[in-house]
Amino acid sequence: MNFFIKKFITLIMTLFLVSVGAFLAFQIIPGDVVTSILGTEATPEREEQLREELGLNDPPVVRYFSWAGGVLRGDLGRSYQYSKNMNEMMPVAELIGDKLPVTLWLAGLAMVLIVMVSIPLGVLWAKSGNRFLDAALGVVTQATMAVPSFFLGILVTFLFGVVLKWFAPGSYVSYRQDFGGFLGYLVFPALSIALPKIAMTARFLRNSMLTEMKADYVRTAYSKGCSRQRVMYGHVLRNAMMPVVTFLGMIIAEIVAGSIVVEQVFGLPGIGRLLISSINNRDFPVVEILILYITFVVIFVYFLVDILYRVIDPRISER
Amino acid sequence: MIKIENLSVAFDGPEVVKNVTLELKDGEILGVVGESGSGKSVTALTLMGLVADTAEITSGRIVFDDVVLREAGKPIDKALYRKYQGAEMSMVFQEPMTSLNPTVRVGRQVEEMLRLHTDFSNEKIREKVLETFEAVGLKDAETVYASYPHQLSGGMRQRVMIAMAVILHPDLVVCDEPTTALDVTIQNQIIELLRTINTKEQNSMLFITHDLNLARRICHRIAVMKDGRVVELGKTEDIFEHPEETYTRELIEAVPSRLKRRTSVFQGKYPAEEEECCPGRSEESLGEEEAVGGVEGQAFPPVVEVRDLSVFYQDGSNSLFSRKKRHAAVQGADFSIYRGESLGLVGESGCGKTTLSRAILGMNRDITGEIRHTTVRPQMIFQDPYSSLNPAKTIGWLLQEPLRAAAALDKSRAMSREDMEAAAYDMLRRVGMEETYFHRRPSQLSGGQRQRVSIGQALITNPGLVVADEPVSALDVTIQAQIMELMQKLQQEMQLSYLFISHDINVVYKMCDRIMVMKDGEIIEIGETQELFDNPKQEYTKKLLASH
Repeated sequence: MNFFIKKFITLIMTLFLVSVGAFLAFQIIPGDVVTSILGTEATPEREEQLREELGLNDPPVVRYFSWAGGVLRGDLGRSYQYSKNMNEMMPVAELIGDKLPVTLWLAGLAMVLIVMVSIPLGVLWAKSGNRFLDAALGVVTQATMAVPSFFLGILVTFLFGVVLKWFAPGSYVSYRQDFGGFLGYLVFPALSIALPKIAMTARFLRNSMLTEMKADYVRTAYSKGCSRQRVMYGHVLRNAMMPVVTFLGMIIAEIVAGSIVVEQVFGLPGIGRLLISSINNRDFPVVEILILYITFVVIFVYFLVDILYRVIDPRISER
Repeated sequence: MIKIENLSVAFDGPEVVKNVTLELKDGEILGVVGESGSGKSVTALTLMGLVADTAEITSGRIVFDDVVLREAGKPIDKALYRKYQGAEMSMVFQEPMTSLNPTVRVGRQVEEMLRLHTDFSNEKIREKVLETFEAVGLKDAETVYASYPHQLSGGMRQRVMIAMAVILHPDLVVCDEPTTALDVTIQNQIIELLRTINTKEQNSMLFITHDLNLARRICHRIAVMKDGRVVELGKTEDIFEHPEETYTRELIEAVPSRLKRRTSVFQGKYPAEEEECCPGRSEESLGEEEAVGGVEGQAFPPVVEVRDLSVFYQDGSNSLFSRKKRHAAVQGADFSIYRGESLGLVGESGCGKTTLSRAILGMNRDITGEIRHTTVRPQMIFQDPYSSLNPAKTIGWLLQEPLRAAAALDKSRAMSREDMEAAAYDMLRRVGMEETYFHRRPSQLSGGQRQRVSIGQALITNPGLVVADEPVSALDVTIQAQIMELMQKLQQEMQLSYLFISHDINVVYKMCDRIMVMKDGEIIEIGETQELFDNPKQEYTKKLLASH
């Protein structure tokens, strides 16, 4: 229990530090929000009025606390860049709320693909004494790992979209309109994200298992009369999963934070694209919240990894 | 009846086991004794069907109760072997911590034997496991059943391994150095347990060890192996009383009792410091006492004085939130080491030996009390010469490294490049190695040669005191003797003092003038070696020495 409290306090403190850091960064980055909203033609009076409206004339400390207080109350602020209608700026919560499901579903699908394919593949690979299979898998995974993801995205589009015609490239449907169609479309970008990660994870698991196969307890298992199959699944897999779990955690953190390139290639309105356009337009309220979101995701995933560790290896919780 | 007939095993060319013939009768314990690389383990693993797939049987066969399990020229029949492994033949390994799966409860690991070879119900399996745990002396069987290996002590883990090996009453139990990783007092218990099991079950045991003395205590017959061959085979008494082969004689003699007890280096009486230890005494009185010590007419100034020393370590994680707990790993240690003497430090693992030695070396700074050195920084000889030498550097470079370090700390000790090289060459000769080794790297050296380099490293700065932490326990017995002789020779030449840490009572007995016994962080007894062996005052010392 103590463990959870500690983790929670660490989370809060990290989020605080990161939010201060992100806030300060925008004080240093050159460029004027007001100019980017109004354009260069605006009158100085109009600019001054907007500054006052946005609270930009307040001292940074006051602005930080008024913003942070808002976040704590659930008011994430308003976007400078997007507007809801002519007179009202878009609330950040609404903006992100709109894009987040896209990224989360994409990440979820990719993760399912990664886990479902890479773990059996890794075990199979470690198990096979077949030299040909070994070499073939070695080459294929190496190639898959090396191809940049945007190119992989293009290949997937070409193969499944143009040649096989399983989906129409660019025909993204919002999850609000047609959830089934939305998921169907997401499978392909998810595949582009997953392929290199599958290759890496499978390779990683295989190496981890082969290393683990040299452990003393494996010899003990054989001395009891266990078959190779039984040794692999009953003894080695669990121990070999330890480093793989860390690796999977890193992957999850990475793709939940938004796969910028793949979202771009497949035209998905997700978090990654929002982040890029917000930084370009100095849309500070949005960027600040996105940074907090990414930080939260990373810490939370590592927290899950920590728990998984404890489940897998009983020695850890007693250290 | 188990027969190994004319067995030869090769790994990619050279044979590591050559024409080995061994027979095990029912109820017999056969010892296979040899140094590392003698082929004893490969023989056992081949018998068990556990040898690596790259091994090739180049001649002979293995026959188990008239069934041929393995034959030269034929690939291993794993399915056949699996019927025997566990049920008819089982194995107890050296290191019970790593030989048990760390992520599976030990009860389940023992159960696996029954699940593989019987069709007992779950209840019956559990009952049988608990019963076997009790039979091997695991008292709280239920708790042990649900424990993970790391929650048990070394002795308990080895008992679990033994329970696993005997639960199906196999005809053959192979024990590969089953006590080497354990503390001496536990060793005895495990040996007793194996003997009891053998008497009760009347099974055959193949007992593999590098330690002839140990084999003598448990085996009915002994086979001595060298370079893959059985050089001598006979009844235990015969082997010891009339060894026929020179090698066997060497092995028997290499057991440290061959070394003559040293008296030449350190003669005369010690100042009676133990009686008058009083932590609060002032500097002046200390000085007087030294003077008194000198008046005796013997020159033995202390190289280090330890007064009321406690060493602490911090517990727990580097967490932001949990309070750090400070534990004393050593409490109230009070002793001196005199010039030219060897002080032995004995005790079981976890008693604080290493912590104390680290404090004396200045590597552990969280201390109370006083450590006063009268010579330059003490140096250390490490246990494992395989991992303590940087594999990327040449021997010459390694030997000079302590000189460079000393110069970095103290400008006045800086030496020219030529002087350092000359010192390294000189040290190489002193530790009995040829100059050609100067440009070699550790991987090209044998274990004994590496330990010589390690000793050279410790001595090159000409320290008064050398801390030797198990300096020979990673070496084969014949090499052990050579290294100990070298250490004694250098001690005389260079007027060295040793703080000699070892779990091997024989080694300490032969090497040390005085012995210090530690238990739970406290020094419970300190005395001259012979005196301590003849009249141990503490019960614990008696127990520790009994394993001698």
